[in-house]
Amino acid sequence: MKVVLQDLVKKFPASDSIAVNHIHLTIEDGELAVFLGPSGCGKTTTMRMIAGLETPDSGQIFIGDRDVTYIAPKDRRVAMVFQNFSMYPSMTVYENIAFPLQVLKLSREEIDQQVKEAAGLVGIGHLLQRSSRQVSGGEAQRVALARAMVRRPEVFLMDEPLSSLDAKLRIQLRTEIKRLHRDTGTTIIFVTHDQEEAMSLGDKIVVMDHGNVQQVGTPQEVFFKPRNLFVANFVGTPSMNLFDGTIQQNGSGLCVDLAGLAQPLPERFQAAKAGKEVKWGIRHEAVKILDDNEPGDVSGEIELIEALGSRQQVFVRAADKLFSVMIDALYPARVGDTLHLRFDASSVHLFDAQTGLSLAEAG
Amino acid sequence: MQYSWGQRVVAYLVFMVMAILVVIPLMAGLLTAFKPQIIWVSSPPIWIFTPTLENFEFVFVQRQNLLHLRNSLIIATGSVTIALILGVPAAYALARFRFRGSKGLLQWLISLRMIPPIVVVLPFYVLFQTFDLRNTHIGMILAYLTFLIPLVIWMMRGYFVEIPSAMEECAMVEGYSRLQALRKVVLPVVTPGIIATALLNFIFAWNEYFLALILGGRNTSTLPVATATYVGRARVEWGNLFAINLIIMVPVIILTIILRRQLVKGLSLGLVD
Repeated sequence: MKVVLQDLVKKFPASDSIAVNHIHLTIEDGELAVFLGPSGCGKTTTMRMIAGLETPDSGQIFIGDRDVTYIAPKDRRVAMVFQNFSMYPSMTVYENIAFPLQVLKLSREEIDQQVKEAAGLVGIGHLLQRSSRQVSGGEAQRVALARAMVRRPEVFLMDEPLSSLDAKLRIQLRTEIKRLHRDTGTTIIFVTHDQEEAMSLGDKIVVMDHGNVQQVGTPQEVFFKPRNLFVANFVGTPSMNLFDGTIQQNGSGLCVDLAGLAQPLPERFQAAKAGKEVKWGIRHEAVKILDDNEPGDVSGEIELIEALGSRQQVFVRAADKLFSVMIDALYPARVGDTLHLRFDASSVHLFDAQTGLSLAEAG
Repeated sequence: MQYSWGQRVVAYLVFMVMAILVVIPLMAGLLTAFKPQIIWVSSPPIWIFTPTLENFEFVFVQRQNLLHLRNSLIIATGSVTIALILGVPAAYALARFRFRGSKGLLQWLISLRMIPPIVVVLPFYVLFQTFDLRNTHIGMILAYLTFLIPLVIWMMRGYFVEIPSAMEECAMVEGYSRLQALRKVVLPVVTPGIIATALLNFIFAWNEYFLALILGGRNTSTLPVATATYVGRARVEWGNLFAINLIIMVPVIILTIILRRQLVKGLSLGLVD
């Protein structure tokens, strides 16, 4: 079911500071949308308002064509999976999954059939008689998933359901949620602070910070075309290399002066004016390592190396700036070695130093 | 954890000393309750004798302490039941919602527990006189509620705070109202806590002496008040005293044995299953 948020505002009752600041958002029917942002950015509050666990101070929430803004959670036909709660401890796995069905006054046979079907889908069919003490953290989170599915909700809400699990299990369950989404076609809203999780799951990523939506887009858009400095910084590991710079006249054309390091101004930023303060950024993927120095390339000394398995992250000091670069693990890099870096001009990002907005967007 | 042989010996020795300190007076009392009057006090104490029920006959028949037992049962169970009915929902509300004055309310409640009864007994006496509550069961129950309700609220609030609020929020999203969620999901989890709370409150009301002495009367005297009548100015009726003490102890011991699993769970916040 389509979910529409219109001008949604929520203040924290205690401090009167704004948790969610005039959010407008449309999540299409069948979409898997991820709310991504650091803790305290308002993503969970927004989700809790969709679930009905918080009442907005102003604005409206639509699920399908229904205005649910002031409807009780139980009547919203949504299901929610929580971060710090998975199983009702006083019930067995079976009773847990049957719990949302009992209120619907279904027959015993119907409940039995639907419980078994949902348990089978998330691979816990063999655990039905276990008590909450006899299941592991991953299994308990599967119970929560099954309990959410069994109601056949119009929207799934998932509030960091994987963040309390260990890394391996997290990736495994992430794949299963993706499969669940494909099989059921139900709209899913997923909240996470883990940008890798967001990238791998989302059809649409909603990047949030300080109660504001910073960018809405596909994982590719958010990664390759960050709308502002926050998104550029937050998305991608390691973070984008970002340096202060000024746009300057260079003969007949323009360049970016990075305090001791002049870089050409890529074609698409030619509208920018000389003298403008900017942030110049490049992701480590767009930095090439060269054997020989050519004009326009940057040379620097390796300051630190972090081994990351198949690759190594290398920090190169050049023109008094620290560039983070990913290179193959087999490359014989050593601290103190000189590396020649070349920046792919088409992957350079420029942001207005004042507003933080991308110059590609503006210009 | 594994303990060495030596550690275990030391631990058991300490436990034995503690047990002896508790058990010896109890044993002496228990024996005296069954001793004929002639050997209640004797030097050296007589350990072996033919047990008799004459002390129990005396307290129940001659002194009609059965009436006091009835009063104790009515007042203790009545006040604990009402304290739970009022206190458990209040504790839930104070655990889950912050509202204007909620913090002050909690502090006020605990201050009620800190006031010694002797401070309030005079005003209570005047109030009870005015409203004809002296020497009534209702009056005694009301008096005890002022102490029991804060105790219930503080204990139960602790149990509710331990439960993630996501638990009832989850039930609320899954089609239940908050009240239904409380009943079906939260209450089963805090049942051991409710039992521990009920038992502690029962013991408090059951043992209470001072308020019962001042505010009670002929029709409402409880067992502890009756006990005092066996300590005279000239002499103490040891056998009768211990007979009635035994009657006071037995219900609590039986309740504790029946509920001990839940009690341990409740008092350890679920750490021991």
